[in-house]
Amino acid sequence: MQIYLPIAELSMNLFFLVGIGGAVGFLSGLFGVGGGFLLTPLLIFSGVPAPVAVASVTGQVVAASTSGALSHYRRGGIDLHLAMYLVLSGILGAFGGVATFGLLRAAGQLDLVISLGFLVLLGFVGTLMLVEAVRALMKRRAGIVVREKLPNQHNWVHGLPMRVRFKKSRLYISVLPVLVLGLCIGFIGSLLGIGGGFILVPALVYILRVPGNVVIGTSLLQLVAMMAATTILHAVQSQSVDIMLAFCLMVGGTIGAQFGASAGQYLRGDQLRFMLAVLILAVAIRFGVSLIVPPDDPFSMAIAGLRGVS
Amino acid sequence: MMQLLRFVALTIALVLATATAQGEKLVSTLSNEDISITSSFDGETLTLFGNAEPDTGSDQKFVEGPFHAIVVVTGPEADWVARRKSNVFGIWLNTEQVRFENFPSYFQVIASAKLTDITDAATLATERILPLTRAELSVEAGWWNSTVFANELVRLMTETGRYGIRENAVNFLSETAFSASVPLPSDVPNGRFLAHTYLFKDGKIVAEKSDGFLVRKTGFERFLGTAAVGYPLLYGLVCVMLALFTGWLGGVVFKR
Repeated sequence: MQIYLPIAELSMNLFFLVGIGGAVGFLSGLFGVGGGFLLTPLLIFSGVPAPVAVASVTGQVVAASTSGALSHYRRGGIDLHLAMYLVLSGILGAFGGVATFGLLRAAGQLDLVISLGFLVLLGFVGTLMLVEAVRALMKRRAGIVVREKLPNQHNWVHGLPMRVRFKKSRLYISVLPVLVLGLCIGFIGSLLGIGGGFILVPALVYILRVPGNVVIGTSLLQLVAMMAATTILHAVQSQSVDIMLAFCLMVGGTIGAQFGASAGQYLRGDQLRFMLAVLILAVAIRFGVSLIVPPDDPFSMAIAGLRGVS
Repeated sequence: MMQLLRFVALTIALVLATATAQGEKLVSTLSNEDISITSSFDGETLTLFGNAEPDTGSDQKFVEGPFHAIVVVTGPEADWVARRKSNVFGIWLNTEQVRFENFPSYFQVIASAKLTDITDAATLATERILPLTRAELSVEAGWWNSTVFANELVRLMTETGRYGIRENAVNFLSETAFSASVPLPSDVPNGRFLAHTYLFKDGKIVAEKSDGFLVRKTGFERFLGTAAVGYPLLYGLVCVMLALFTGWLGGVVFKR
């Protein structure tokens, strides 16, 4: 069954859209990430123009993260104070990201930056995660009891000025690294159409030493608020949010995420991280190949400027 | 002397008048003049019907062929850029681009025979029947680059199905009546279209006719399209609300 996407101005198969939304939603529920880093490339490879794909996926990430954030909130797994700082600086970063998005699109380099950005970011994070996961798996096989890192060990980042007390996270740390982190995630997320959960969670754990029971919830809340702001910014600035496309993805994604979350309970943490790392690296390699292999067609075309009302 | 001149002028005028009175006229119509894009739109095929008739004021009862017809369908114009990738330090990236202003987003040529058999190259060029003639060469890019990129733009458009030359695709149902199908792909640009029909006889254009049609989103799709451009802030807010609601509903339904 074909469905016409009014902003992308093309028709696609409804079941295909709900299907990839569901598949990615399953993985995002399984690994506790937004899934934007998989969905955006998938849409681009299946023919949706890159600007529309990036802008519409931000809407889908909001939906996919909302139910998770709500359930964490009910369990008290969110540090609202910390999330506020992250969200405010994140929105600031998103302004920068969306503005850069517009400039790159006009200069014809958006596709390149998206590819390069995914390659560098996913390659880096994927490698780190893979190394860490393999190490944990090998230790487990060798029979060593893996002890989770103690969260309240301080490092130099915490010693910076402007200290703030975060009660829920039991942290008394400088607000600067929090703001910088939010800014970076906001910028990268809005530029690449990803939530950035897979960067934020490790950063919260390893840099800020946020305790495990509030990491996921806080990260999800940050994701919802920041992606909501990004969706609005994209809608205003580039007018490339396709609500039909986003809705099809949302429906699939929300359902898929529920199944993914329950499937995740049957797997151990290090196994999950290993699988996620492999997945992230696979996407990174796919982008790397597209940059290095000579294109079938060196020429491409695009409509310049904004489209008029029809 | 003056009277003689006047007489000569009058005779010439009369002769000319009777000569044009023997011309042909083209009547044509489209199967649909208002194509509406709904949620299930997946491309459409229009049919153009045409008939050659004696011109108004002509004393002829019928027209004599054989005729040929070329239908040129153009879509809404926009500014397009063609880009070329090249290898910079091992990475393929867009290095050159040429902008073509007022370039049709849709262009189909439907002819009753091979174009070169219907008429000569000069007529094809002056009437701008071939797609390449629609590219306004950009001054800043230079003549050579403009030509190369214009050729590539036309090729890319052809690959997406927006451009095309269909020879032997106008069917003559009789000596004078013909029909042509105009394919509209599923990603057809929205806006005003023009189907310009040329009637040829012995390689010369004997009649022309233009028919306009409109492609637009209707109903909900139109509402969304205009809302996204006209009220972007509200549109964005509604998107977010929808996302929050869908996410919340999913959580409630599955009791997480």
